[in-house]
Formats: sequence, C-alpha cells, structure tokens
Amino acid sequence: MAGSHSDPLAHPEVRQGSAVRYIAGFISTVVLMGAALVVTMRHGLDYQSLVEVVGGLAALALLSQAALFYGLDISRAQIWKGVSLILTVPLFIITVGLTVWMFQSLDQRTMVMPASNAAASQPTLLQ
Amino acid sequence: MAHDTAPTANTRLFRPGYEGHNQISARTLGFWLYMLSDALLFTALFAAYAVLDTPMNAAGGPIASQIVNPVEGFWQTIAILGSVTSYSLATVAMKNGNRGGTALGIVAAIALAVVFLAFGVNDLTTLAAHGDGMDRSGYLSAYFVLILTHAIHMGIGILWMLVMLVQIPRYGFNEMVVARMLNLRMFWQFQATVWVCVYVYVYMIGA
Repeated sequence: MAGSHSDPLAHPEVRQGSAVRYIAGFISTVVLMGAALVVTMRHGLDYQSLVEVVGGLAALALLSQAALFYGLDISRAQIWKGVSLILTVPLFIITVGLTVWMFQSLDQRTMVMPASNAAASQPTLLQ
Repeated sequence: MAHDTAPTANTRLFRPGYEGHNQISARTLGFWLYMLSDALLFTALFAAYAVLDTPMNAAGGPIASQIVNPVEGFWQTIAILGSVTSYSLATVAMKNGNRGGTALGIVAAIALAVVFLAFGVNDLTTLAAHGDGMDRSGYLSAYFVLILTHAIHMGIGILWMLVMLVQIPRYGFNEMVVARMLNLRMFWQFQATVWVCVYVYVYMIGA
C-alpha cells in the first residue's frame, strides 16, 4: 500500500490530472453556455420552455464538469466521491424544490395581486 | 483491521506518517465532503432567491430582467472557466514535477479570476450607486447575497493560490503542498460549477 513516505506525485489523485480532459471541459462548458445564451437572447421561447431548454443545457454542462474537471469515475481512487455526490444530489433537489413548492402554494392561496401590478409582473419560478 | 490496543481518549482519528494511512487520499475525500456541504449552502441561497424573485418582493425596485446582462455574464463565464482550466493545467505541470509551469498556471488563474471579479464588483457597485443596493428590496438582498457569497469564495481561492505560490518554491512538491494543491483544484473547479448555476438561473432565466 502506498504509504505517506512514497512520492506524493505518484498518488492517483495527481496522476489523474490530464491537460486534454481539462481543455475539453473548458470547451464543452463554454459551448453549452453559448448555446444557452443564444436561446435566451432570441426570446423565441415561452418561460416554461426556456427553463426546460436552458436547464437541460446547464445539466449537461454540470455532467461534463463532473467527468472532465473533477474526473469522477468508478475507479477505486474516485468511487467515494461519486457515491457521496449521488447521495447529496437529492438534498439539492429537495431544498430548492420543496421551498419553491411551499411558497408557490402560499403565494396562490394568500396573495391577491391588483390587476395593475399583475400586468407589470414577469414570470418567475414562483408564479 | 486488527488493533493492538483499545481506543482511549488520546486515540487519534488520523495519524500523520502512519504507513497504513494515505494522507492525500484522506485529505482529498475530506475536502470533497466539505465541498458538498458548501454546495448545500449555495442551494439554500438559490432557494431563497427563487422565493424572493417576484415583483412583490422587488418592492417597486428593479426586477431580475432590469439588472442582469446575459452577454456580460457570458464574458464572466469565459473568464472563470479560463481561470479554472489554467489552475487545472498548473496541477498537470505539478504532475510532471514542473515548478515553473505550475507557478505560471496559478498566476494566469489569478489574473482571470480578477477579471471575473472586476465584472461582478462593477455590477454591484453600479447598482448600489443608483440606490439599488442590497437594502433596497428583498429581491436585491437575495441577489446581492448570492453573488457576494460566490465572490467571497473566489477571493478565498485567490488568497489560497497566493499562499501556494509561496509554498511551492519554499517546500517543493512535498506531501503537504501536493495535498493543498489538489484540494485547491477541487475548490476552484467548484467555483465554476456554482457559477454555471448562477449564470443559468439568474442571468438567463431571469432575463
């Protein structure tokens, strides 16, 4: 087993670094965000579709970062990072999802907005 | 694993130098777990932003579409991703034992991070100068806190890089320096991940 007196540069965490992977991570994220920017600036989609398309592109960007930047895979050196991330993702979804759901429900049941204000509003996740 | 002695109050969870432990593995996994909890901090801020991003909470002040500029945000995206790639390439130079290349990558990463922060600070100070500071409305409070929390993380990353620029020539690539370089790589890549979420959610969906 690699002890603490072995060459630190021989550690798998160091060896996994790869210039090609990092540059690919840069290019893939920039391209995906560029595509999302084009979709946003065209203003051709309704709010719901914009959230879905841009959110989907963001999800792809995050996946490419997980694989290309962080180097997550199922090797022995990396498996626990992937497992802990997968176990944490539901917490992200629950935190944002439940909060929005609760306040959306509260908003619909309690807030009666005057017509003049409603006309000036913009769509948000809550409405 | 067999233990010769029962654990006592003085038993250490982790003993540096013990052959059966690998310091770098333990430290990178520990730091990764810290980052997941840091991600939950941002998740809470996103949840608050989602709730406060309504015309009612703008309290007569500006709403998202009036203060965000997706094109400018794209330049910020390129700057931060360039910084992350530059630092990551510095760790590839470290892998090859190249101290000069490592330092060069870190310096370039700092420069691009400063460009990124200059855009953000300019946005926030311009808003505040027009009376739309973080105390103007609930919406602006959520906006400022989200952007500033990320900016503070970036500032800490820059400070950390400056420390590494001193430690690499001083100590060389010993176990301690390598472990810090690897943790900083995760931390720095994490800033780009958070920014992708901020950019898409605040700058694009809000536009």
